[in-house]
Amino acid sequence: MFFVLFKESLLFAWQSLVGNKLRSFLSLLGITIGIFAIILVFTIVDSLENNIRGSIQTLGNNVVYVQKWPWLFGPDYPWWKYINRPTPQYYELDELNKRCRSTEALAYRLGARKTIKYKSSNIQNAVVAGISHDFYKIKSFDLSAGRYFTQNETDAGYHVTLIGAEIAAGLFPNEDPLGKEIKIAGQKATVIGVITKEGESLLGNSYDYQAIIPFNFARYLMDTKSENSDPTIYAKARPNVSNAEMIDELTGLLRSIRRLKPLSEPNFALNEISLLSKGFDTLFGIIGLAGWIIGGFSILVGGFGIANIMFVSVRERTNLIGIQKSLGARNIFILVQFLGESVLLCIIGGFFGLLLTWLMTLLARSAMEIDISLTGTNIILGFTISVLIGIISGFIPAYGASQLDPVEAIRSN
Amino acid sequence: MKRPKIISFICIVGYLSVLLAFPQVFSPQVKKLGALMPALFGVLVAANFIACVGIWYYKQWGVQLYLLSFFAKILFNLSIDDLGFGFYFNLTLTVLFIFALLRFYPKMDRNL
Repeated sequence: MFFVLFKESLLFAWQSLVGNKLRSFLSLLGITIGIFAIILVFTIVDSLENNIRGSIQTLGNNVVYVQKWPWLFGPDYPWWKYINRPTPQYYELDELNKRCRSTEALAYRLGARKTIKYKSSNIQNAVVAGISHDFYKIKSFDLSAGRYFTQNETDAGYHVTLIGAEIAAGLFPNEDPLGKEIKIAGQKATVIGVITKEGESLLGNSYDYQAIIPFNFARYLMDTKSENSDPTIYAKARPNVSNAEMIDELTGLLRSIRRLKPLSEPNFALNEISLLSKGFDTLFGIIGLAGWIIGGFSILVGGFGIANIMFVSVRERTNLIGIQKSLGARNIFILVQFLGESVLLCIIGGFFGLLLTWLMTLLARSAMEIDISLTGTNIILGFTISVLIGIISGFIPAYGASQLDPVEAIRSN
Repeated sequence: MKRPKIISFICIVGYLSVLLAFPQVFSPQVKKLGALMPALFGVLVAANFIACVGIWYYKQWGVQLYLLSFFAKILFNLSIDDLGFGFYFNLTLTVLFIFALLRFYPKMDRNL
């Protein structure tokens, strides 16, 4: 019985919406814009967050980075404290390798942008990274072809290289890169492996656009003491050893290697992925809040529009309500009829808002090549907000209509 | 029948709390709790609003719905482990309101 009543009420509501097309369109426009604004912001934030968090995860949670600059976020970065610090050096890696017990692997990396050439093809500003041999133990390479460096190649600084998928595609569109000789900043290097395509990364740490070379080869191409080449020692904790324990040991060892006095400030930074995650948490929190406020106001305006149109609708059909009631329609029937109209209006508005958001994501994906997509969670959220705003803005007019006296209602103009 | 002032006060506080709770439905905090949590929270907000309208019109179903939404809200807060100062403040205030509402309950209209 209830479902029959509900179905009939919705049918009435639908007829009313179709009967006043322009009015329905204008009133659902507010909801469409509101849902579009709020869901678009959430979609962008979610997609960026997923992408950045994915990139962060690939760096590893149990890895500590010995660097010159600490990863701090916020407006009051005390750069003057750190500007005169020395950059980590390769000999420090050797010392740590000898003395550190809490690490499973230690590696050194530095990088610079160089031109890579092969015959008439060249790639400018490609990232060339010089690494120590154990780097693969910290950040693994999936090779689509070829092999990793041998210990002898890294120790002796052989002119060999592993190249990213995009570099391989750019330099060798129709050839097998393995065994070919390319020029990195004018120095010859033989391609011994191609790294599997990783895809875009917003942090810029994808191997697709990188050429990896042994550190002892890289020292001829870049200044190992310059902070422009971002020299970093990577330390990966043993299984069962926490990052805090490893940091304690690394701090002591580095202070000893750098001969720092007991009470002096350390002149190195031990950075963890969790610091980066915390920084992004703050950033995404702010963006989410901004979207929440903008979308909230849009939705509020849309809701007022719906409430207004529902009051007009009740006023316009007072006579009809009187006839329906005098023919035996119960209060709940009138209530559901008008509430259904309001909710239906908001759901249609929300649907168009979500459709617009989806079209925008398609546009953004093709224009900016960013992995952005409308998730199921956001679709549910969009419809939830639509239904909720429909109930809140439509209930008072609908309830008012259901309480009308049939005789008074029939008599009204 | 003329609505008592205390009922009007409860309803105004209720409307204001709905106004404040509505943006929380799509807040990042609720969204983080799970895909269906905003929908669930939205149902609670809507129920609270409808209950306030019912009480405003001096109807018994308004008080019944108010009680239901109160218990559902407690369950929701328990499930997400949100038991801070705000929770206890709301709890105390709502319990006081419920006592006030129950005083007038027999005099309220039984019809929809």
